[in-house]
Amino acid sequence: MNEKIILLVEDNPSDEALTLRALSKNNIGNTVVVKRDGAEALDYLLAPRSDPHRACALPQLILLDLNLPKVDGLEVLRRIRADARTRLLPVVILTSSREDTDMVRGYGFGANGYVCKPVDFVQFAEAVRQIGLYWLIINERPPTV
Amino acid sequence: MIPTGPNLSERYSAALAHYLADPDEDVLNQAYELGRKALGDGLGVLDIAMVHHGALQAAICDESRAEMMPAPAIAKAAEFFAESMSPFEMSFRGLILANDRLLQSQATAEAANRELEAFSYSVAHDLRAPLRGIDGFSQALLEDYADKIDEEGRRHLNFLRESAQRMGRLIDDLLGLSRVARAELCRLPVDLSVLARNVAAQLGNAEPDRQVEIVIGDGIGAEGDAPLLRIALENLLGNAWKFTSKRTAARIEVGTMSVDGDTVYFVRDNGAGFDPAYEAKLFGVFQRLHSTREFEGTGIGLATVKRIVSRHNGRIWATSEVDRGATFYFTLGDGTPRP
Repeated sequence: MNEKIILLVEDNPSDEALTLRALSKNNIGNTVVVKRDGAEALDYLLAPRSDPHRACALPQLILLDLNLPKVDGLEVLRRIRADARTRLLPVVILTSSREDTDMVRGYGFGANGYVCKPVDFVQFAEAVRQIGLYWLIINERPPTV
Repeated sequence: MIPTGPNLSERYSAALAHYLADPDEDVLNQAYELGRKALGDGLGVLDIAMVHHGALQAAICDESRAEMMPAPAIAKAAEFFAESMSPFEMSFRGLILANDRLLQSQATAEAANRELEAFSYSVAHDLRAPLRGIDGFSQALLEDYADKIDEEGRRHLNFLRESAQRMGRLIDDLLGLSRVARAELCRLPVDLSVLARNVAAQLGNAEPDRQVEIVIGDGIGAEGDAPLLRIALENLLGNAWKFTSKRTAARIEVGTMSVDGDTVYFVRDNGAGFDPAYEAKLFGVFQRLHSTREFEGTGIGLATVKRIVSRHNGRIWATSEVDRGATFYFTLGDGTPRP
């Protein structure tokens, strides 16, 4: 039960593959659960206990894209923060958007971090390495309630 | 209320008396003309009402018209008054129409702005993602299949990565340009010396090996939008930094001078300079006066600076000679922001 799961919410298959590659390149061997739209991610986190889609254990870190099919990233974040079980979960927005409005709304809805995905893979891998290092090792996760 | 001249009162009284005696179309037209003149002179509806009131009293009390019944006289007078009001009525209608049109064009502009924002958003998000794929998987091929790809193949993959990254920078810079155009302008006192020193420190940190003498005058004050002015300085100092990269004794100076009472800010370098024949092209989007091979760049930086300066009602120009450095000058206009 102590395994630190990473939940990656990402709809773009190439970004998904690159993120997974960047994690493994940096020897971050945690289990990564990938959800490809906002609704899937919400089912995984917030579905009733009996629902087979629901996670057995909450992730240690959520990497959340903003532009998602069905339910967009900001709405996913809002619902995560609205639920007592998940409201303290570390959520880092990982997006292509550098628009001020997205940043303001992201932080406004309670994101713990906002990282703009660089085009250069070397920089992207470095960003993923630092996120992993900080949120999985240095940062203390909130006690489960 | 503007005092009505005796001229208007007298002419109105005379015309009204005439109309009461002889309700003729031509006389009624005089009411219209008098109303139009009053409107043109800047008089208001109440002024005309006062004039009418005086004229009506005079007309009714006039002994010579004692045979006229007051009631029909008042009806005729009301007709006359209404006619003198009609220029006002029309001008109000014109105002309301103009106002409607203004509101309509505001709504159109707002819709266009929203559309532009949605467009920039999708450019930011949807165009960058495929580039990341091109760059990332080229890199993956280089790493995972290094033993299967020969030198030529690796060169091609590196070109792929460079192109993707260059397009990424282009997208970022274009988005920056459109953001500069959309950003709300907030004018406050700004210390440009502090801003410039921050930018210079940033440049130095990015390339700690370079030796550049940067001279920034103290207390360069301006009234402007600090975030936008910072972007302008980032571009101007960034250019100076870039174009002095082949100098052994690189020097960049930021200062101000007074020309005809206006404060002119300048950024001067002793770098590669440019051919003054092309000065006009300098501030256009995608205009580059040096090859990418010589100096890397997207050709959007100075267009961004120009937009920032013109949003401050300012002017920007530059002087240079090839290989003898360049100086960029700008003003920031007065405090009235452009719509």
